[in-house]
Amino acid sequence: MKGQGMRIRRLVTELRLLPYDPTKVIGFLLCAALAYLILAPVLALLLDTVRVNLRDSATIGIPTGTFTTYFLQRTFLSRVSEVLFWKPFWQTLFVAGAVCGIAIPMGALFAWLVVRTDLPGSKLVSRLMVVPYMIPSWTFAVAWISVFKNRRLGGLAGMLETMGFVPPDWLAYGALPIIVCESLHVFPFAFLLFGNALRSMDSQLEESARVLGASSFTISRRIVLPLLKPALLSSFLLTFSRVLGSFGTPYILGSGVKYYLLPTALYNSYKVGSPGVAAVIACVTVLMGVSLVALDMFFVREYRRFITLGGKGAILRKSPLGGLTLPALFFTLIALGITVLIPLGTLVLTTFMHRPGLFTVENFTLDYWIGATIPAMVGQKGFFLNPDILRSLKNSVWVAGSASLLCGFLGMLVGYVVVRLPKSRVAAYLRQVSFLPYLVPSIGFAAASLSFFAVPRGPIPSLYGSMFLLVLVMSLKYLPFASRSGITAMMQMGNEPEEAARVCGAGWLRRMGRIVLPLQKHALLTGVLLPLISGMKEQSLVIMLATPGTELMTTQILRFIDYGYTQLANATVVGIVGIIFILTLSMERLTGANLATGFASRG
Amino acid sequence: MAEIVLKNIRKTFGPSVVAVDDLNLTIQSGSFVSLLGPSGCGKTTTLRMIAGLDTPDGGELYLDGKLLFSESEGCMVPTEKRGMGLVFQSYALWPHMTVAQNVSFGLEMRGMPKEARRKRVQEVLELLHIDTLQNRYPSELSGGQQQRVALARMLAINPDVLLLDEPLSNLDAKLRLEMRTELKRLHQTLKNTILYVTHDQLEAMTLSTHVAVMHNGRILQYAPPLTIYRFPADLTVAAFVGSPPMNFFSRSENEGSDVFRSFLPLFPGLAERVHTVGVRPEDLYLSPTPPLDPWSYPAIFETVLPTGSDWIVSLRVHKRTIFLVLREEPRIKPGEQVWISTRTEKLHLFDTQQKRIESP
Ligand SMILES: Nc1ncnc2c1ncn2[C@@H]1O[C@H](COP(=O)(O)OP(=O)(O)OP(=O)(O)O)[C@@H](O)[C@H]1O
Ligand SMILES: [Mg+2]
Repeated sequence: MKGQGMRIRRLVTELRLLPYDPTKVIGFLLCAALAYLILAPVLALLLDTVRVNLRDSATIGIPTGTFTTYFLQRTFLSRVSEVLFWKPFWQTLFVAGAVCGIAIPMGALFAWLVVRTDLPGSKLVSRLMVVPYMIPSWTFAVAWISVFKNRRLGGLAGMLETMGFVPPDWLAYGALPIIVCESLHVFPFAFLLFGNALRSMDSQLEESARVLGASSFTISRRIVLPLLKPALLSSFLLTFSRVLGSFGTPYILGSGVKYYLLPTALYNSYKVGSPGVAAVIACVTVLMGVSLVALDMFFVREYRRFITLGGKGAILRKSPLGGLTLPALFFTLIALGITVLIPLGTLVLTTFMHRPGLFTVENFTLDYWIGATIPAMVGQKGFFLNPDILRSLKNSVWVAGSASLLCGFLGMLVGYVVVRLPKSRVAAYLRQVSFLPYLVPSIGFAAASLSFFAVPRGPIPSLYGSMFLLVLVMSLKYLPFASRSGITAMMQMGNEPEEAARVCGAGWLRRMGRIVLPLQKHALLTGVLLPLISGMKEQSLVIMLATPGTELMTTQILRFIDYGYTQLANATVVGIVGIIFILTLSMERLTGANLATGFASRG
Repeated sequence: MAEIVLKNIRKTFGPSVVAVDDLNLTIQSGSFVSLLGPSGCGKTTTLRMIAGLDTPDGGELYLDGKLLFSESEGCMVPTEKRGMGLVFQSYALWPHMTVAQNVSFGLEMRGMPKEARRKRVQEVLELLHIDTLQNRYPSELSGGQQQRVALARMLAINPDVLLLDEPLSNLDAKLRLEMRTELKRLHQTLKNTILYVTHDQLEAMTLSTHVAVMHNGRILQYAPPLTIYRFPADLTVAAFVGSPPMNFFSRSENEGSDVFRSFLPLFPGLAERVHTVGVRPEDLYLSPTPPLDPWSYPAIFETVLPTGSDWIVSLRVHKRTIFLVLREEPRIKPGEQVWISTRTEKLHLFDTQQKRIESP
């Protein structure tokens, strides 16, 4: 009895103190919200792999809600499993492996050139090198298809075909173009990772070995390579998770010839096949994603010991290229051309041509930008007048804008609670759950959210087809980044500025308004702008969620490509890239964050 | 008037860390009390509990007889309502506000009108000699100036109780002395109650009216500084206060026990109870020949550390090193044999419980 009285009294005290410090309440609310928004969808996805859903129950004749191993068997063991899962699975591994084989050596080579040699203009080169990562991954695919497209798909001919050379299928579609396009997008990662590793590697280490009589070969093998191993492994794992998470490229380049990777196979199963099978495939991507991150974390821990390397007096000696300077520069320029100028240039060029690839004066036009009618496309207007594009632009701005605000705000709250209640269970839980979306590939995350929100639950109606669902899913997917930066920023600030205000008699709201928010302004800005930029180019995450009314620019591009409206698709791509450039530059200006470092965090 | 009373205050972090253990302390109104102790002994925690930033696990806390916290009554007055001043070790100035804004924040929270606020800020800044810095941001101030602003910010609200957490530890030696003087002057003019946390014994000794020596979350002795220095209540206090530290010879240790036994004839009645004998470095005398004092002991001269005003001498006695402080330069070379001696009343005796034994 006495114990209970005490407990009640303590509770009353806590309640009375609440207005002064509601951190705990905010913490509990956040925990509950994240459980509902992140944990529940993932569990719903798991459940969907063994329980019959509404759409499947009609086709397979088992009542909705029954537990079954049908989907697992169908995906992994049945006659169609080869087509549904195994082929896309092996193809995904193959493509990812091949991308590693191209992107990592390429990134490493340029990193070495920029960091460890006297290559002229290395600052500019290193800035340009990360541009391919800044622009959306599917940009390359869109550019590729504009050039190499052949008759196999309907619509306009590709540039090469118009110029008289009909590209064979293997060059136009499937594995090769996917590998090339993904590599072009991914190699800046390797470039950044190797660049950092090389930069923190003291030349004195090599020189010590040389003094001890080691040959160049021995030095490379015994000193340099082991020190680069962490960068190598990280690039490797990152490339895999990129390929696993990207939808646009395999969709644009693979669908026409039925060359599917896991993301497109999942999409297909969901759209035209069985949602249950889609859930199983989604779970596989989630599992792969989790193991990749786990491996990465394991290696990072393993190699933490190396970090002390760039200590005091580290010297970065640049090897002279000597006679190789010109060839190296030439090679670099060509690479920059292939990775940045040619794809973007092609995209821009095609939007001014009726028939891309036909270089006659009368073939050039502004119709695809400002035309009220377009002769070749019935009922379509140019970019600036096109209702579909304008609506998708508005949607994109609205969705990415709200999502980034929500995400930045949630991230800051998570940071606040985690730092204010250190060592508590609430903090540990928030840390982990807010990190969870990072482990889940975009398309798998979208599938999970669909599983959970597409049906009415309690007072909440089905959110499928609503803009709100897009905002929600996007802000949750980017939460890992925002909450991490929120935690870091709050930790940097520490508790003392707020405590000093408490002592001065400021209540919670006043402390937030006068002390915490002003001090977090900068972090909050980054926490909003980065998700905004990612959101503007997001495709994998939204492709399953967008519906005709809620089409975003990125999904509108795919519709245009499906219809064969090459120029409109390309104009839309150019539009997005333009927006992203402007956003990125203003973010650099506003926050002083470097694009290269900001994007190196693997959002 | 502001008397702070802590009764059986206890605070743990997690299952294993007892930061403050059954602490009892009465801080009289208008006194300047130093909380002195080694790092991690619970000083900051105690201060934060008094300010209300941490909630004790048990015990009671009073300010002028009014209950601030009580575990059993379920009472906890929030920080915002306690009206105390607290200066953090890191100053915690708000970097986005100017000096004047920092200082006037607390007044604003009390709803003081703008004009009055301006006047009060001016007044406080003048008191601390920083009125020329009004419009600067904290990042544009030196460490000492930041320190003054942090102090001004809390003094502005004219708190009856001012809590200071190692406020001078980030300053260089010269500034520290200057600020110490300043603090003492402020205390003499303002007459509020000050609780001052430090692990610097010199600071505690010079500033305070009372010193509370803390160790492992407990208060070992609470007395005026000279009392603590002259009559340390137990071995830990004796060892902690004084620099260079007191020399100890204990019954049980190997190297010192011979010396310890040589002391025994000096206090025949207590020989059984005494477990450790302590003597401060400045109470030991050095002579090149055996002196006539009741107690003396041979030692080997090791080395000398001149501080400018004094000479700290280290000597080898059996296998032990002991310290002496001399006011004059010794004329002895390393390795030479010397004799040390002292007077009986300068000895500090401690029993097996490490408690002080009052000499008869
Ligand atoms: N928030 C906390 N969580 C866990 N343990 C803590 C926390 N705050 C303090 N402690 C522990 O409580 C003990 C007392 O800490 P406190 O900060 O009061 O020491 P201190 O006397 O102020 O030391 P210092 O002179 O180093 O500032 C230490 O062992 C410390 O590790
Ligand atoms: Mg402390």
